[in-house]
Amino acid sequence: MTSVFYISSGIAVLATLLVVTRTNIVHALLFLIVSLLAVAVDLFVLGAQLAAALEVIIYAGAIMVLFIFVIMMMNLGKAEQEANRHRRSPAWLAAGVLSAVLLAELIYVMVANPGPPVGPGNDPREVAKLLYGPYVLAVELASLLLLSGLVGAYHLGRPEQSRAGTARRLDGSPADSSSGSARPTGLGRAERKTQLGAVVAESSGHDSAAIGGSNAGSGPVPTQEEPS
Amino acid sequence: MMTRDLLALGPMLITAGGAVVLLLALAVCRSHAFASAWSVLVLAAALAAIPMTWPGAPASGDLLNLLAIDSWALAFWGIIFGSALVVCLLGFEYFRPLAVQAEEFYVLVLLSATGAAVLAAADHFATVFLGLELLSVSLFALAAYRRDQAISIEAGIKYLVLAGTSSALLLFGLALLYFHTASLRLSGLAGPLLAGHPDTIALYAGIALVLVAMGFKLGLAPMHVWTPDVYQGSPAPVSALVGSVSKAGAMAFMVRLAGVTLTGTPGVRNGVFYGLLVLAIASMFTGNLLALRQPNIKRLLAYSSIAHMGYCLLAVLPMAAGAALDRQAVFYYMLAHAVSILGAFGCVCAASENGREAQHVEDYRGLAWRRPVLAGVFSLMLLSLAGIPLTAGFLGKFYVLASGVRNALWLPAVCLVINSGIGLFYYLRVLGTLYQREEAESPDQFATSTAPSALLQPSPQLLLTHLTLAALVVLLIYFGLMPALASLPM
Repeated sequence: MTSVFYISSGIAVLATLLVVTRTNIVHALLFLIVSLLAVAVDLFVLGAQLAAALEVIIYAGAIMVLFIFVIMMMNLGKAEQEANRHRRSPAWLAAGVLSAVLLAELIYVMVANPGPPVGPGNDPREVAKLLYGPYVLAVELASLLLLSGLVGAYHLGRPEQSRAGTARRLDGSPADSSSGSARPTGLGRAERKTQLGAVVAESSGHDSAAIGGSNAGSGPVPTQEEPS
Repeated sequence: MMTRDLLALGPMLITAGGAVVLLLALAVCRSHAFASAWSVLVLAAALAAIPMTWPGAPASGDLLNLLAIDSWALAFWGIIFGSALVVCLLGFEYFRPLAVQAEEFYVLVLLSATGAAVLAAADHFATVFLGLELLSVSLFALAAYRRDQAISIEAGIKYLVLAGTSSALLLFGLALLYFHTASLRLSGLAGPLLAGHPDTIALYAGIALVLVAMGFKLGLAPMHVWTPDVYQGSPAPVSALVGSVSKAGAMAFMVRLAGVTLTGTPGVRNGVFYGLLVLAIASMFTGNLLALRQPNIKRLLAYSSIAHMGYCLLAVLPMAAGAALDRQAVFYYMLAHAVSILGAFGCVCAASENGREAQHVEDYRGLAWRRPVLAGVFSLMLLSLAGIPLTAGFLGKFYVLASGVRNALWLPAVCLVINSGIGLFYYLRVLGTLYQREEAESPDQFATSTAPSALLQPSPQLLLTHLTLAALVVLLIYFGLMPALASLPM
């Protein structure tokens, strides 16, 4: 069991190094998945089966899917493909070999007699009781943490807005409900359109790629939509 | 969870609930004035709830595990919620003329205040990490809040990357500590250190990593590099928030950590002591020397806050003895620093117009002849930062120095005195600029500077900012003359 632990630790370190050195973002993601799976094997061997399962389900499953969605939405894959057309990098091969080693380990662990030790805290019911008992405050704090991340991402990732009162054009609420400020309200449709044109010109002048929202890759496409 | 626990948690529940309610209200109807008024109301309610829970509830089992709501935590909650309240007041007129959608600012300020409050009361590694993350995540979004400006986004990204790194170090440190003590409680650290366990390398490495993470939040010397960039790039109210709320929360936890890890027989000093000593002295010199020739006011205030955190560590160093006087010195210093830094950034807000912040020292040349009252307020804040008598900053520094002298910490005490002298130079340099007459008649003067006179005209739209500054001045003088709060039992 000890050698299984060290082999998968080595795979985790190697795969993580490959993640940060790849220039192709899809390849980097591939290695990230391998790294997460290797950590899951580590946890499994240490006796934390529940944590290992969660690692696979949540990280390698749900979060990676989100990553891939973001990459698809930002259309980075195609540009990368164009840039890397001339060299055939065997990324899939390397990731495949590393995963195959992990698979071999898993089969060995399943066949081996006796199996890995079962540590405490592997009953989901026990963990749930702890989370909603003594640690309920920590769960609430984690939810607040997610909330603040969400609000921050919403603010930073929103499409570029105009100088005047049409800032909420994509929120579906074109009426400017902000308080008595200098913003003019109730602009006509034509006027709004001209302002949007100005915004598009302005935002392309800005360093909008650094904002990192959905606006970054797709350019002025979202700003051409009009609220119904 | 008992009713008693809910009562003890009251102030924090109010701010967290206030943020959620505000978010729900924004989904129905967006209004900058409502968001601002609501968050001010929520923070005032949280402040009012603090005396009701004073001096901390004897929490029951569940709470006892995660948070220690004692008089120390409650006193710092006062600083945190009060500072956040001032930031909300300053933010209203700062964001009003801007095209940025400003309502989320208040949600994030409420959340970051909640995070700092958790950190100040944290007694368990889980809450330490959650509080720190809540604070960091809110702050990086706030630092990048003016997305129309590249420098603001740069500040946000710098803060995000470095805060992520420091969180990783913190987690690694906490894992090492858990490995050694098999306990996630902060108080579990004291036993192994006292026992003089033979294998203490992992223990000290863990404590060092936690100290690095906290030093990052406080902007202590080797981890200070982000401070000037973030202070300069963030909107001025956010810089004030970073300077007051985040520092207060991190310092409160630092004192808790020091109280546990510096234990031992008096006179025998362990590695943690020397680590903190190096951090303190390095921060004092780095901050003050880098500020000497700094022409940007916000960067200057950032360097000054690095030095101030170094001064404050002088009162953290003797925490092993557990003397209440040292804890009171730290509390009063953080209180005075929060009032002064909020006032200084409030003056930057008041001097800014139409989204362009008055950042350069040249923007303030001759301010006293155009807006004498604002210049007077700014002078007071600078004098308080420099530690001149009759201001809160003087008493804070006095208590810290007294704490160092009482515990015979001569080296850092002498460094503090030397650095106060160095600091006086650059505060007085800015002060002199305020009262210089403009030689505006020469035409090349106009060509080089960007017409500061037009920038600094008094504006009737800044009523709230001016009222806030007036309140801060009253507090500054009050804390400078009546140090009653310094004798709170803690």
